[in-house]
Amino acid sequence: MTSIVFQDLHKQYGKFQAVDGLSANIEAGRITGFLGPNGAGKSTALRCLLGLATPTSGSALLDGKKYTQLSHPSREVGAVLDTSGFNRSLTGRQNLKIMCAAGGINTDRIAPLLEMVELTPAANKRTKGYSLGMRQRLSLAAALLGDPQILVLDEPANGLDPIGIAWLRQMLRDLANQGKTILVSSHQLAEMQHTVDDVLIINQGKLIADGPIAQVTQGRSLEDTFLSLVGAGK
Amino acid sequence: MNLIKAEFLKLFYPRRTYGILLAAIAISVLGAAFTPYALSKIGSGMAMPLTNAAAIDSVYSKALAGYIFAVIIGVLTVTSEFNNHTAIATYLAAPKRWQPMLAKIIVAAIGGALLNLVATLVGMGSAAYALTFYPEAVAPASNVWLDFSLVALLTGAVLSLIGVGIGALIRNQNAAVSISFVWLFLIDRILAVLFVDVGKYLPTGLVTSLMNLKFNYTGPVVSVNTGDYLEPWPATGLLVAYGAVFVLAALLTTNRRDID
Repeated sequence: MTSIVFQDLHKQYGKFQAVDGLSANIEAGRITGFLGPNGAGKSTALRCLLGLATPTSGSALLDGKKYTQLSHPSREVGAVLDTSGFNRSLTGRQNLKIMCAAGGINTDRIAPLLEMVELTPAANKRTKGYSLGMRQRLSLAAALLGDPQILVLDEPANGLDPIGIAWLRQMLRDLANQGKTILVSSHQLAEMQHTVDDVLIINQGKLIADGPIAQVTQGRSLEDTFLSLVGAGK
Repeated sequence: MNLIKAEFLKLFYPRRTYGILLAAIAISVLGAAFTPYALSKIGSGMAMPLTNAAAIDSVYSKALAGYIFAVIIGVLTVTSEFNNHTAIATYLAAPKRWQPMLAKIIVAAIGGALLNLVATLVGMGSAAYALTFYPEAVAPASNVWLDFSLVALLTGAVLSLIGVGIGALIRNQNAAVSISFVWLFLIDRILAVLFVDVGKYLPTGLVTSLMNLKFNYTGPVVSVNTGDYLEPWPATGLLVAYGAVFVLAALLTTNRRDID
């Protein structure tokens, strides 16, 4: 079932075309990797999808609706966009309590999620003392607070150690097996090869490849495929 | 209600809020407690001896000096979201942007009003205590405790809303706070005293009007005649209008900009 749809999405900043006619469908129950070099337009497309930026034209829909039309956004979509997105003078638990309040989510969700992301011992410490990996785990907990059906994750493996990355991979697989839609942007191509079912590759704002990973890579590594597609290949 | 609860948590969790409250109390106490001493020394020359009930009112009026920190509460309500990069989480939870901004407006108004009320009450308490050291001091001309408490609530709420508007227009926290301080501590006060024709329409002049003080001091450098200021009700209307303009600016700018 199609869960996320980009329809001829354009986003322009002045004369710079950040996203240039992106059209793609993302299926539920699968992990889709959203790949592209720096400045390719991935984050801009995700921001348009999540209502943080207004498309110049075209649309980005979640279950047929714009993000701004969702009745309970925090319970329908979870997102990790910025690991520094916590009030640094507050504890991890306080930050999550604020998010629960804003999203109308029961705070009973906080303790098990902190346990799941292995942050319980640091839950009452101020986040300004958190490492990048700890902030990443807290971001994931925040995204999962509302038990959403759709997850949009921008570089979720940043700052995670190898054990953390393996944990993230398994967690994403478990969530996909529950029928959730997972859209993950990342630069870590070797890791993505082991994690995703489908890929979207964009360069200079345009979609240059999409489909199941085996179909896109045709037996090559994802890194080789990516480098040849974006014109930086061997 | 969810968003209002979230905004209250954002206001009351950080220690910074209590630091701002202490600063507001400190400036109110300093002004109110020191003024009886100043008037006992030079008040006669200013036709403002402590035997004059209007002078006593002016002593208690210093307790409202903390209102600038209500503006800071309003500024921080908006700018801290961008300073901490929490704006994304806020607008993901409530993508109709006017909703979180409306919650901020409500919470900033309540927070600013409470902050100013507490600072004013403590300041007036310190004024009352300081006046006990001056046997010649008479009773105030008006019901300062009730009147100034109401003024504190109104000015705290409205100035906090002005702060919300400033924060929405100037997202850089340091710049927004600095501009607010310089304007209210310096420029606004100078205009209110030296250029009354302009200053009476600005926040400091309007707060002075709301307190309905009655004195006329002519000095070698500055002269202050409270009769030059607006009457309390027109001043109230103008102050509320300022608040409304800044609220509108906050709502409009928030709806139009992308969230970084």
